[in-house]
Amino acid sequence: MLRAAFRRQRRTALGGSLLFISHQAGEIGVPIVAALVIDKAIVTSDVRLLVLHLLALAAVFATLSYSWRFGDRLVERATEATTHELVVDLTTRILHPAGGLSGSSLTGELVSTASSDAGKVGSIFGAAAGGAAALGALIVASAVLLNISLALGLLILIGLPPVLVGLQQVVRPLERRFRAQQDQAAAASGVATDLIGGLRILKGLGAEVAAGDRYRAASQNSLATSLGASRLDAVHEGLNVAVTGALLAGVAFAGGRLAAQGRISIGELIAAVGLTQFLIGPLFRLGSSGADLARSRASARRVADVLSAPFAVTQGCDALTEPVRGELVFDDVSGSLSLKVAAGEFVGVVALDPADAYRLLDLLARNTSCSEGRITLDGVEVGSTGIENWRAAVVVSPHDADLFEGKFSDNVLVAAPHPERLAEYLAAAGADGMAAALPDGIDTPVTERGRSLSGGQRQRTALARALASEAPVLVLHDPTSAVDAATEARIAVNLSALRSGMTTLIVTTSPALLAVADRVLVLAGGSVTGEGTHSRLLVSDPAYAEAVLA
Amino acid sequence: MRPTEPQPTEPQGRVILPIASRSETVKTLAGIVRPHRLRGAVMLSVLLGRATLGLAGPLLLGSIVDLVVEGNPVNDMLRPFILLLVVAAGEGILAGLGTALIARFGEPVLATLRERVLDRALGVPLSDIERAGTGDLVSRVGDDVSAVSEAIRFALPALMGAALSICLTIVGLGVLDWRLALAGLCAAPIQLYTLRWFLPRSAPLYARERLIKGERAQQLFDSIDGASTVRAFRLSEPHTSMVRTRSRAVFDLVLQTVKLQSRFFGRLNLAEFVGLTAILIVGFMLVGDGVITIGAVTAAALYFQRLFDPINILLYLIDEAQSAGAALARLVGVANLPGPPVSAPQDEGPAITSGLSIRIQGLGFAYQVGPPVLHNIDLEIAPGERVALVGVSGAGKTTLAKLIAGIHEPSGGEIRIGEAGMAELGSDGIRRLVCLVTQEIHVFSGSLSEDLRLAKPDASDGELERALELVGAVNWAAAMPDGIATVVGEGGFRLTPTQVQQVALARLALRDPPVAILDEATAEAGSSGARMLEAAASRILKGRTSLVVAHRLTQAASADRVVVMEEGRIVEVGTHAGLVKAGGAYSALWKAWSFSRS
Repeated sequence: MLRAAFRRQRRTALGGSLLFISHQAGEIGVPIVAALVIDKAIVTSDVRLLVLHLLALAAVFATLSYSWRFGDRLVERATEATTHELVVDLTTRILHPAGGLSGSSLTGELVSTASSDAGKVGSIFGAAAGGAAALGALIVASAVLLNISLALGLLILIGLPPVLVGLQQVVRPLERRFRAQQDQAAAASGVATDLIGGLRILKGLGAEVAAGDRYRAASQNSLATSLGASRLDAVHEGLNVAVTGALLAGVAFAGGRLAAQGRISIGELIAAVGLTQFLIGPLFRLGSSGADLARSRASARRVADVLSAPFAVTQGCDALTEPVRGELVFDDVSGSLSLKVAAGEFVGVVALDPADAYRLLDLLARNTSCSEGRITLDGVEVGSTGIENWRAAVVVSPHDADLFEGKFSDNVLVAAPHPERLAEYLAAAGADGMAAALPDGIDTPVTERGRSLSGGQRQRTALARALASEAPVLVLHDPTSAVDAATEARIAVNLSALRSGMTTLIVTTSPALLAVADRVLVLAGGSVTGEGTHSRLLVSDPAYAEAVLA
Repeated sequence: MRPTEPQPTEPQGRVILPIASRSETVKTLAGIVRPHRLRGAVMLSVLLGRATLGLAGPLLLGSIVDLVVEGNPVNDMLRPFILLLVVAAGEGILAGLGTALIARFGEPVLATLRERVLDRALGVPLSDIERAGTGDLVSRVGDDVSAVSEAIRFALPALMGAALSICLTIVGLGVLDWRLALAGLCAAPIQLYTLRWFLPRSAPLYARERLIKGERAQQLFDSIDGASTVRAFRLSEPHTSMVRTRSRAVFDLVLQTVKLQSRFFGRLNLAEFVGLTAILIVGFMLVGDGVITIGAVTAAALYFQRLFDPINILLYLIDEAQSAGAALARLVGVANLPGPPVSAPQDEGPAITSGLSIRIQGLGFAYQVGPPVLHNIDLEIAPGERVALVGVSGAGKTTLAKLIAGIHEPSGGEIRIGEAGMAELGSDGIRRLVCLVTQEIHVFSGSLSEDLRLAKPDASDGELERALELVGAVNWAAAMPDGIATVVGEGGFRLTPTQVQQVALARLALRDPPVAILDEATAEAGSSGARMLEAAASRILKGRTSLVVAHRLTQAASADRVVVMEEGRIVEVGTHAGLVKAGGAYSALWKAWSFSRS
């Protein structure tokens, strides 16, 4: 995929690189033509030659200017097109229904791969074109220098690299220091945003002074690192200037002697000095474009890892027969889990060990494959159906369900076959009063991840969304944990009414919800250990009573 | 607050943070720079010295050319050669010194500024934050500080260096001959025109680019972080296409920016050509008249060619300097807010840990816009008593809690804590006595022990462990990879919402206030987590005067007294048992809650 993305931009990037080389050739041409003007026209006071050479100078400037203008556009086009393509590819892979990348601790890394690594891979083109241009410039300038004088050319071409390599040796630790400096600065900035992000908590505790002290320590640490790095920076800058100056002095001296002996012309002497000054740039850039390429390669590896990550679940391609009745059967799943939920039944599930709850939810959501035993819906085995077909029939709304940026009503109706029934869903989720109280009612925008709502509001919105899916089988996990007692009781009654005729599973320990269930299953040690109505289990199962009652 | 600019207000009366005016920014910055002014002067003279010395190079190269033209003996070139070496060494030393001095001047100024901004940000009253949110403040201490730092570290030295070498080169040309300087200045009108053409076009484009890149990043975060929900509701395709749309918008805009930039540099190339040509023509005429030597023209051409880069840098960076200026104005706006209390609350006066009552009389409250939220509240909480506040969402429980915590000021009536009224206590006094823990889930990044020490900086490891023990967190805390030294929070070890709230309660235990207010502090955890947190809260609240906003009635049942609120009024007060027996509103709530619990 990565390679295909590059191949599509190959022509654009190649064109850009050629134009970059032509730009560099123009840059070389400027000091040479300027030297020729002095040598041929000014020394001889020949107006005709002056005009001719100035026209040549104009041509050189036009070449370098237009080469850069269009080369830059092409290279940037290749860079941005690749970045765009990779961002879309990465998103497609990360959001793929069959999963495989959804470990929650990875989220931050995935976001940074999709947002920053994709861009760094794209900038391979910039680094490559820059490198090609530098190399081209080097070759052209060397040819010109050798043409002026073999001795002088060799002096420069043999003398320059070791000097620059030496300077690079000074740069390398500098780069490390620079990175350390960036890390420290990022750390200090992270401390600041983190403290301000938790400002309400700090204020509630009266811990502002302690927080200020903490930041001051981080800031001073960052200051010390910056100052340390700047010392090295200063040495490098000083050496750079001094060595370059000495090099120019040497070339001028040697060139001057050759010119005095009549072996090169004045123009050639001036051109040699100008070219030496020019050559330092491309040589440095050649080194840094190598480092850029290395960085891009590291990013490319991370991108490739994500794109080629194995899927978490395998799928068939069967669809379920419409209409889905919603009869769910587990047969010896993972060795010991057997249960049966009749079509249209409203079942509560109490897991004494939360791990059992998560395993059940993951299997129903098809976040994991059923490797042992059989799960069927209306008699059709889970693995034989397409994931999207399955999820059209079975909606599993997680406890920490996320909301998305957009209008409140759009969040609720994101998967709703009957958007006109919005009011019913909101009422059943206990979100009607809350929606009415929002600044613009149901049209109120919700910021990313639903942050503009409180925890309780988010939970009721997510519940309304789950209900709006009208899924033949709806699975809810602790849907009312952040809701007040009175509202929870109302939700329990309305919820069971709204879902009547459709299969509903609620994984919870909330008595209010369990009380309205037709039947409650108790899970322990990977299998069903109890079954009955809520009131019966309270009496008959002491472990259940303890789990459900505070 | 200082009488500065009028507070910018958003529609709906939402107060946002101030942005400093230009003169205020300059004044504040001057205040920060003043202690470092000597260092600044030394830095400027070193930079000036370096640029001046830099003029000698082309002059000496020109003199070598003259020696060749005049046919002088080869050995005469030794003198300019040695001088060139000396100049190179001197320039190197001054360049290194300049770089070091820029950092020694700029970095401490930067550190002072960012520390002051954070100090002031910490001092913003909670009522303002409740209204405006923390987003703006976070972006100021984060993005704006970074933007200003980048500018001070990279753009400012480059700008100063470029400006100095441009000015001095013109002087250098003038030293060769004033007509050469005039010829060089032929480029200036084109450059000024280009700049005036570029800036009004680039600024909005750059602003839009930042905005659109931000939108792309936000969409990526929204979709990827919510991937499990995206899959559950079969939203993979719509979300991928939203990312595609926003990513495509970035693509289009970046290419537009590149196009503008390449035209900008194209026009600057024209200026370079015009300037260089003018110098060569003037040189041609002056040499023809015998006014100057070939070497002088060579030096002039070298001078001018050396200017290409600094001029491009200067013109290009003006843009960045402008946006850094905007960020700076936002920082100074915060830096000039009143600061936080000078000392930590626990440092003041003798510690009072118990024996404080809360008396509320005739309390009323309304937000700036909107109808009254609380009406005529009377309530007395005895020293050490635990009162639970119950009612449906929107009944005014949280508002009452915030008033007692001193976050908002009542519009009528009064609150007394112990013997003192809120006004006598002042915000420092209230914070010394009252702590508020809300349902907000946030664990500070850094080690767990650092997080806890925010509540009590001098706490020993033993104290931290006792606090964790009290909230039932000691087992999982010890089981983390590095125990309480484990890094938690963003990018660190992930804690569950229950664990985060345990940490919040442990902070409360360490802070040890006489009055504690819990506003649905257990709400974000699942039901089993909530039970654990309630037990922890009970242990911590023992002996403290406390008010618990309860969303689970078990919290009410275990409180000394229950207060029921409806539509901003207290409708029932009594013990749990008494209210259940009384058959009123609470009794109905309890029945619904415990329907089959017994």
